[in-house]
Amino acid sequence: MMTPTELYALAPFIWLSVGVIVLMLQIAFSRSLNGACWVTNLTLLVALYSMVGHDPAGIQVTPLMRIDALGLMFCAVIICGSVVTSLLARDYLKQRPAENEEFFLLLLLATLGACVLVCATHVASLLLGLELLGVALYGLIAYPEKGERSLEAAIKYLVLSGAASATLLFGFALLYAATGTMDFAILADKLDTIQVNSNPIIVLTAAAFILSGLAFKLSVAPFHMWTPDVYEGAPAPITGFLATVSKGAVFVVLLRWFIDGQLYEFRGIILGLSAVAIASMLVGNLLALRQDNIKRILAYSSIAQFGYLLVVLIACGTLTESIPLAREAASYYLLAYIITTLGATGLLTLLSSESARERDHIGDIVGLFWRRPLLSLGFTVAMLSLAGIPLTAGFIGKFYIFKIGADAELWALMSAVIVGSGLGIFYYLRLVFNMTKNPRQVHALPQQTSLEGRSVLLLLTLLILALGVYPQPLMDYLSAIL
Amino acid sequence: MGGLVVPLEHVLLLAGLLFICGLTGLMIRRNVIFILMSLEVMLNAAALAFVAAGAYWGEPDGQIIFLLILAVAAAEVSVGLGLVLQIQRRFKTLDLDQASRMGG
Repeated sequence: MMTPTELYALAPFIWLSVGVIVLMLQIAFSRSLNGACWVTNLTLLVALYSMVGHDPAGIQVTPLMRIDALGLMFCAVIICGSVVTSLLARDYLKQRPAENEEFFLLLLLATLGACVLVCATHVASLLLGLELLGVALYGLIAYPEKGERSLEAAIKYLVLSGAASATLLFGFALLYAATGTMDFAILADKLDTIQVNSNPIIVLTAAAFILSGLAFKLSVAPFHMWTPDVYEGAPAPITGFLATVSKGAVFVVLLRWFIDGQLYEFRGIILGLSAVAIASMLVGNLLALRQDNIKRILAYSSIAQFGYLLVVLIACGTLTESIPLAREAASYYLLAYIITTLGATGLLTLLSSESARERDHIGDIVGLFWRRPLLSLGFTVAMLSLAGIPLTAGFIGKFYIFKIGADAELWALMSAVIVGSGLGIFYYLRLVFNMTKNPRQVHALPQQTSLEGRSVLLLLTLLILALGVYPQPLMDYLSAIL
Repeated sequence: MGGLVVPLEHVLLLAGLLFICGLTGLMIRRNVIFILMSLEVMLNAAALAFVAAGAYWGEPDGQIIFLLILAVAAAEVSVGLGLVLQIQRRFKTLDLDQASRMGG
């Protein structure tokens, strides 16, 4: 039997589910793009409001979910990400007349899945969250009715993400066979006795399966093949959603499983993760150099970014005292990455909202600085933040990575981070230079984008700068709650 | 709970073989329908391993996860078949290599 406290802790999930049903009924009775958008945003805001006043110490609701500060914070981030996506998507969909209302339904379902995922402490809730997110995303990627690229992207994502889920589940089945528990917290005790008593070969195999499944979803190096194609083929707002909400949620659950289950005590896992991290920093940054499509550049850049983020997990293995710092560093870096990437893909969405075509080629932004000074300034800030230039949020995130890497004395990884960041500056700045080029023919100004879209983008830009110039409040907040 | 009658290793080995069959099929087949079937084999291999492990520990948890996997696999494949219809209509083929337009 559930107590009222537990039910109250689940309020955001309940509100999101109610919103899904209301939206479905609304679509059944009367189709209206604006109506669907408002119901979606109202649901998201109510869910956000229902998170206020929860106990930050955390409460375990059934063995499946733990509603704690980490989970609540990322639930809030995910919901804000969905609000941004839905506001930007409305203009984008208006340019593509079709039956577009179900787009918002899928968006709400994916949000619910991501929120379940960040609070999951059990294999069952992890599976449900992951698949709710994944299956809704297949639909969102394939949404544009006439797009050949989006159809191809969707089937590629479906097949590879399905294979990743199967790999992940097989790993968890092996781990269950070895330890007899599917709960992340109990896992730690069981693993301790196994490590002492017998050889841990089955645990290592299981961890390899689980980590490669999660690595697929995060698209780090040997498992990154799908990323550029899916980013390119997906509609621009969904590229942003996939890059931020979906990947962020998967990383949070990885962090939970890895730290709660104390998997960092296994030397083999740390070595494997280090190899994967170095490979993805180098592969991501090197392959991004030769791309001409902005979405593909962002795809390779995200491969590199998650390589940097893996340093945090590896540091837990060498220096156990650094675990609280690791949570803080991962949270700050993820927040910075999510805000920045939403800003960058937001500009692409706004540009694509002005025509029926996706405007994601590097040629589409040539001379943008002279036509849309404010928007391109925002994009420039986002690029500088991804490159890790001081005074932006990305710099503080990278500073955390350096701090934690240096504390744990991971010099090989640190040099890969430096080389990767150096390469990164080149292609991020290439995009900025393309915007400042003076075009021969200045296009007649197309219709203006809507006020919501532009103000959301402006807000994201200000946030990137605020977190970069004055990061102390957020840093204090994170170290207090985590 | 009756527990597991055969040794756990045997069932895990069988599940591993099924998983590898599925993975191989996924990689060498080019027809979308066969790829979806291979995906199903992989998911069911994981489900079989869960049932075996649950029986070994004498807990119902393994079977519950099996039911969840069953539902998840059905959802994946139903969306997948929807996409198959679209692919057939758009590209007039179910061969993924021929339908592929983008670089990677």
